[in-house]
Amino acid sequence: MFGQLIVSGLAVGACYALLALAMVIIYKTSEVLNFAQGEMAMISTFIAFTLLDTYQVPFPYALAITFLFAIVLAIFFEMVFLRQAKDPTVLGLIIITLGFEMVLMGFVGWKWGPDQRALPFPVSNIEAYTFYGLIISKINFWTLIVSLVLMLILFLFFRYTKLGIAMRATQQNQLAARVMGIRTKWIFSFTWAISSMVGAVAGMLIAAMGVLDPPMMMDPLLKGFASGVLGGMTSLPGAAVGGALLGVIENLFGGYVSLSFKSVVAFAIIVLMLCIKPSGLLAKHYVKKV
Amino acid sequence: MMKKNLIWVGLLVFTFFIAATASAQAVRGVTDTEILIGQWGPQTGPAAPWGAVARGTDLLVKMINDQGGIHGRKFKYFLRDDSYMPAKTKAIAKEFVEQIGVFAVVGGVGVATGMTARDYLMENKVPWGGPVTGVYEWIHPIQKYLFAVYPLYDDEAFNMTGYLHEKLGFKKIAMFYQNDDYGKQGVMGVERYLLKHKIKLVEKVSAEVTDRDLSTHALKLKNSGAEAVIMWTNPTGAALILGESAKIGFKPQWATSSTLSDSALMMQITRGLWGGMITSFFGELPDSNHPLMVKYREAHKKFAPQERWGVFYYAGIIFAEPFFEGVRRAGRNLTTESWVKAMETIKDFQGIGPPITYAGIKDRQGGKHVFYGKVRPDGSIERITDWIRITK
Repeated sequence: MFGQLIVSGLAVGACYALLALAMVIIYKTSEVLNFAQGEMAMISTFIAFTLLDTYQVPFPYALAITFLFAIVLAIFFEMVFLRQAKDPTVLGLIIITLGFEMVLMGFVGWKWGPDQRALPFPVSNIEAYTFYGLIISKINFWTLIVSLVLMLILFLFFRYTKLGIAMRATQQNQLAARVMGIRTKWIFSFTWAISSMVGAVAGMLIAAMGVLDPPMMMDPLLKGFASGVLGGMTSLPGAAVGGALLGVIENLFGGYVSLSFKSVVAFAIIVLMLCIKPSGLLAKHYVKKV
Repeated sequence: MMKKNLIWVGLLVFTFFIAATASAQAVRGVTDTEILIGQWGPQTGPAAPWGAVARGTDLLVKMINDQGGIHGRKFKYFLRDDSYMPAKTKAIAKEFVEQIGVFAVVGGVGVATGMTARDYLMENKVPWGGPVTGVYEWIHPIQKYLFAVYPLYDDEAFNMTGYLHEKLGFKKIAMFYQNDDYGKQGVMGVERYLLKHKIKLVEKVSAEVTDRDLSTHALKLKNSGAEAVIMWTNPTGAALILGESAKIGFKPQWATSSTLSDSALMMQITRGLWGGMITSFFGELPDSNHPLMVKYREAHKKFAPQERWGVFYYAGIIFAEPFFEGVRRAGRNLTTESWVKAMETIKDFQGIGPPITYAGIKDRQGGKHVFYGKVRPDGSIERITDWIRITK
């Protein structure tokens, strides 16, 4: 049972990690916590569903169109809502993301209705692989692989590409970055676009593992946020580690302590981390801008 | 001068008399031509699929109005979305009474949601017919103006456990339930049966409505060695636990309550895993040839073709039928009291739901029967029993 709990925890933790990454990418650049992240991922997943189910578009094309939609949605939101905010404070921008979340939730409810749906997906969510007596479903296995690859790409991108370094520079000192010739407005749009794409991947994987419906991201988003806090909201590896840890801790707690209180473990972790180490496990320092 | 004063006093007395008579005769939400009724239901949020119930009632209202109404009065129906959030439900109940002035509330999904409104509605003497849950809160203590339709979850679970044990021979039974009053009353019935027959419940696993990761839950059920698992949860919870169980190769006999009897929806969201499920039903099957079902399906095509003809949708008709029967029996002189008296005369009334009987002033539980069905691999339902009386 122990091994099985770890395996299942890692698989679900991979989804938390993706959502945490999506949040961290934006937070790193603008210090804004995007509470619309879940609903942005959800609407992208509904677009994928429509393409795959209604129009029978082959999966690779549907995926590409979904990513395109996720990018356009994010840039639209950043340019039309966030950038237009008058004398924006971080709190004000966070409130705008909350408003956008509600708009998206309402729109999806109106457009697709409240019924649950099954997202057509090329990987079975029932068939499983067996490794040394441990069962891992194909969808969980591929979720782990996809998440790891995506995390690696993001890590390399932020570490070694010019654009990635420009994004980090913008986060550290926006004025200095602008003086150095970095087009910070463009950087913000790009950040939102990447974050939205990562969120879309998480949304599709979560829907493929369970069901697709408007509130599907409510719980995972909170867990993603908890993962970010656990690993460090300014650290990409931290988000990954935080997601994996949270998935495993939750499962072990549910398996050996109390299943009834499994869902509150994430919130207990948020409180604990904020009290003990607000910067998170892997973030090097905690900087409060004044 | 004296004569002038007398005229004024006379006018004043006459005005008071007219006003007093009028207020004595006026019934909230009832005019010569209209009756106002309302219902809340989750049109958004995690329980939104159950919101179809309130839209199903709308179909019945349209049908009745199309036929000229009841005793010359047509119905004006107010549907409000409470998102399955109790705070919203309370506000809606207040809006119904204080702003719209409805005669009655019909249906209403949810225990916690309905409980925020129950006492308020009863204090204001608002008739309430057919809350869309089968819990004791509606009938204990007896509420004069509240008439339940939905068979009790406790009795439903008790009999379901008996069916699995006695008819199908399962000895190791586990329970998966939603951690709220709905789920807990299912557990109550299962445990009551097993205790009576001195059998141990091999595992009892709960989940919150918002939980999306049920892998640990499935693992616990598997490790219990259960041969049969009874689930009392919402559609998402059911789909998730079936999926997680399938992933780890756990394939018991599943059984569930009438709340998950929309097998077309369940087959689709479980990607076929719903096949083989034993379900209890409180109403005719979707493709039934019952004359009323034929009539309702025709009305559905005419008035609401955009809606999917599923169990949750036409359950809105099932829960409302007894209310309208009460209005019919009350006659043209419809008041709150005449409706209550009329409802108390209902015996073995059957629309497309269970037989409804309110045995006098001490019985507010109308539905006391269910039947069982088994989902075929193609999603259709094989009816495996006739109506069974579950509440003695």
